[in-house]
Amino acid sequence: MIPVEQPALVETFDEDPAPAVSASPARQLWRTVRHSPSASIGAGLLLVLILVAILAPVIAPFGPNTQAGAPFTPPSARHLLGLDDGGYDVLSLLMYGLRVSLLVGFAATLISSLVGTVVGIVAGYFGGFVDGLFMRVTDYFLVIPLLPFMIVVADVWGANLLHIIVVIGALSWTMTAVVIRAQARTIRERTFVRRAQAMGAGHTRIIARHLLPQVMPLVVANTVLNISYAIFTETALAFLGLGDPTQISLGTMIEHAFLRADISEGAWWAVIPPGALVAIIVIACSLLGRAIEDSLNPRLRTAHLSARVFRVRPTRPRNPGRTG
Amino acid sequence: MAHLLEVTDLNVWFTSPGRPDVHAVRGASLALNSQERVGLVGESGCGKSTTILAMMGLLPSSAVVSGQVLLDEKDILANGDQSMRPHRWRDLAMVFQGAMNAFNPVRRVSMQIADAIAVRRGLARRDARQRAHELLEMVGIPRGRMDGYPHEFSGGMRQRAAIALALACEPRVLLADEPTTALDVMVQAQIMELLQRLCHEQGLALILVSHDLPLVAQVCERINVMYAGEVVEQGSVDQLYDQPRHPYTRLLLAATPDLDSEEELASIPGTPPRLDRPVVGCPFRPRCDQAFDRCRHEPPLLKPVGQGQAAACHLNDHPAPPAAPDSGQDTKVEASGRTDGTA
Amino acid sequence: MRRADYVVKRVGAAILTTYVAVTVNFIIFRALPGTAVTNMSHVPDSGLGLQRALAREFGLNHSLLTQYGLYLWQLLHLNLGVSFDNQQPVVSNLATDLLNSIPMVTLATVFSVLLGIATGVIAAWRRDTALEHVSVVPALGFYATPVQWLGMIIIILFSSYLPTTGRTDPYLINPTFIQHWADVMEHMLLPSLTLGLVLYGQYTLIVRSAMLETMGEDYVLTAKAIGYSNGRIVRRFAFRNAMLPVVSVIALSLGFIVGGAILVETVFNWPGIGYAVYQAVLERDYPMLQGAFLLLTVSVIVCNLLADLVYFKLDPRISAR
Repeated sequence: MIPVEQPALVETFDEDPAPAVSASPARQLWRTVRHSPSASIGAGLLLVLILVAILAPVIAPFGPNTQAGAPFTPPSARHLLGLDDGGYDVLSLLMYGLRVSLLVGFAATLISSLVGTVVGIVAGYFGGFVDGLFMRVTDYFLVIPLLPFMIVVADVWGANLLHIIVVIGALSWTMTAVVIRAQARTIRERTFVRRAQAMGAGHTRIIARHLLPQVMPLVVANTVLNISYAIFTETALAFLGLGDPTQISLGTMIEHAFLRADISEGAWWAVIPPGALVAIIVIACSLLGRAIEDSLNPRLRTAHLSARVFRVRPTRPRNPGRTG
Repeated sequence: MAHLLEVTDLNVWFTSPGRPDVHAVRGASLALNSQERVGLVGESGCGKSTTILAMMGLLPSSAVVSGQVLLDEKDILANGDQSMRPHRWRDLAMVFQGAMNAFNPVRRVSMQIADAIAVRRGLARRDARQRAHELLEMVGIPRGRMDGYPHEFSGGMRQRAAIALALACEPRVLLADEPTTALDVMVQAQIMELLQRLCHEQGLALILVSHDLPLVAQVCERINVMYAGEVVEQGSVDQLYDQPRHPYTRLLLAATPDLDSEEELASIPGTPPRLDRPVVGCPFRPRCDQAFDRCRHEPPLLKPVGQGQAAACHLNDHPAPPAAPDSGQDTKVEASGRTDGTA
Repeated sequence: MRRADYVVKRVGAAILTTYVAVTVNFIIFRALPGTAVTNMSHVPDSGLGLQRALAREFGLNHSLLTQYGLYLWQLLHLNLGVSFDNQQPVVSNLATDLLNSIPMVTLATVFSVLLGIATGVIAAWRRDTALEHVSVVPALGFYATPVQWLGMIIIILFSSYLPTTGRTDPYLINPTFIQHWADVMEHMLLPSLTLGLVLYGQYTLIVRSAMLETMGEDYVLTAKAIGYSNGRIVRRFAFRNAMLPVVSVIALSLGFIVGGAILVETVFNWPGIGYAVYQAVLERDYPMLQGAFLLLTVSVIVCNLLADLVYFKLDPRISAR
């Protein structure tokens, strides 16, 4: 695979006399999210979306199967986003669709992150033959094409949400595995792990108590980014007719917009919202995920080259340690 | 006599959003004369690296600096990066800690040195390349290896090449930041010997930064001891070894292993103060075995205590305090600060 | 000698992976129950004679193992079966479709790579300034949109200015060479733009990350200490080194672009590989599906291999192992 540098949790041994507080990775994660504007926006957006999705049955103005009027009715006070090709309220569909899409996204990511992390940790920590074996398997999983696999599953076992979730999860764990493996390898070489090994600690103990906490932030970042990948994939599958026909998801809404002449009817209110919402979800996930990833990479913090330069203050006695 | 390079009252703060500023350098002052070799010694985090980075204007954009850096009595720090750039490499050059990564990995070493010569001194390409080879030869890189890539050089060779790079534009001052820390002992000795020889041959002034006091004592004529962002003592090597006037210096000397003596190795208990908070009184007080009441409230200033020696300790203003356990060296504090030299 | 070693090893691994992919393809389309085993001979609108001929040709009456052997043998002879849709050999269909896809995808890639590198470098170089946000926000926005949806939006916006369907104008009779190709170019603009916008977003973020990493490296600090101008440092130190991982990531992504092209070509009715896949999915045209996916998978493997080799060639640290 490409030897692209992976973010590594390297302690800074340089001269920066910052307080040497060994905050747990969890605490550091929380601090990062709090102080990074992009992470806060991302996290906030996600929370709002999850809330809307959970409360959809309660707050949606109309039910998903309630025909509220004539097809392609433009937006009005009663129907803020108008009606779609079947006469259903677009705003309500959007909420229910959000619910399904997020469900698929989270569930599929749960599978892929779990499998990917386990494979990555085992391969990265044990190295050698085990590593080689797992990496071969990963390579082979990588070449299984998603689409034909989904087609076969759809034809043989039916295309319902569960199958879609499993297929997406089963074919996307490889991305997580590669990233986690690189990180596990770096951590394995660090002194505190070696020390624990020298003291005779068993593998399970080392992995559970030393490796896992250090790897967790990266797992979190990766999981968040995987969610957007899963939601994207769901929309692609739905677009190609492989979605669950009994459920409304953001992907099926986009598919309907394409197939049912919304464009030629000029019904932009049915075309724009579902895709825009997908974009919002993905942006939120990206902001949060990347902010976490960036915070894990100390090299991204030290920029020797930047548009701004250090400031020179006229000589005057100053109180040290004042809050910036 | 004017100093070649002088740093007065240097302060450096590192800012980061949502956190208090870290006051990494708190009013450091030191001076360097032409062709003089001066050491800057202290433990990790005392601000010595930050100080020499500030001297070259290589601080990150999150840093705030105040004070003066006088080169030939002109303050080159006044306009920040802009006023410092012209002097980089041509007057002040640096050898970094862990020069493993000082070179661009995708370009040959000799070419990189030739680039510096061509761009910063305006020599023609061919002349620059020739000069680069000469420099590499001077530092002991075999002819056949000069045109290799950085990863093809061993650690010691890369450090030598970094020294050659530093000499590319014939600077007057060489700043060496822990140049041998990551190398093994044999190579360390060779590199230090090389540095000494080159400084002598090329007429360079040297500031050697290290946590290793004996190493610095071998090479340098004068030493500055830094603690918690300030210079706490300065003087000639002899003065510091024979008559240290700061408890920290004393403890540093006691902590260095001496093959001849049979005394136990003393370590300095405690840790330096956090610099993201205001320091009240003397920063060394918590670890000092001779601290007294005044040390709690009043920060000691760097004051002369002899001919060419200065220390920042209240003990030098007071008569000898009650006998405190010392670590075996003849480091009795002289009664009442004298202004004449004491051998 | 080490160089040749590495190349041989990587090519060997790629061939092995291709073999596995080929086998997986067979399993998915022929060996799983309810798929092409029963469907291969059920070519719609065909007589019993054709069905029997097909069954004989593909050994459908024999054991799975024999079919597998037959499958591999035919593969080596580039026989991928006959499309259910137009009764033409899959291989010739794919060839035509590929020829249609390549210019459109290439235009999109070139556009996105150039724009992505430019904005990525700017975003990294001008970090924490307004310019960075101006560069990153649109990139993130486009990266986040489902490409099929973006296509629809672009159709809504540009339908009165540029053609939004197909590759040629059906009403253009007997065009000259220039007229024909101008017509094709006109039709290519919107689909390429759509694909390009989504790709550029991704590349911007990748380039920015890579640049930020290299900008924190020691050799950049050294370059600054030497007193080089910022422009020189960005170009020769940061950029030159950042491009190493970027080039390989781009090469990697090439393999997946063809997949993304499925959605774009469907929205714009561009008659390429992607559109062929879409039709094949709708009609369950298994021979076409099997052939197309073999093609897509092999292209991913080839692009992976290319990415490895390019990185190997560019990075002196690895080639002299």
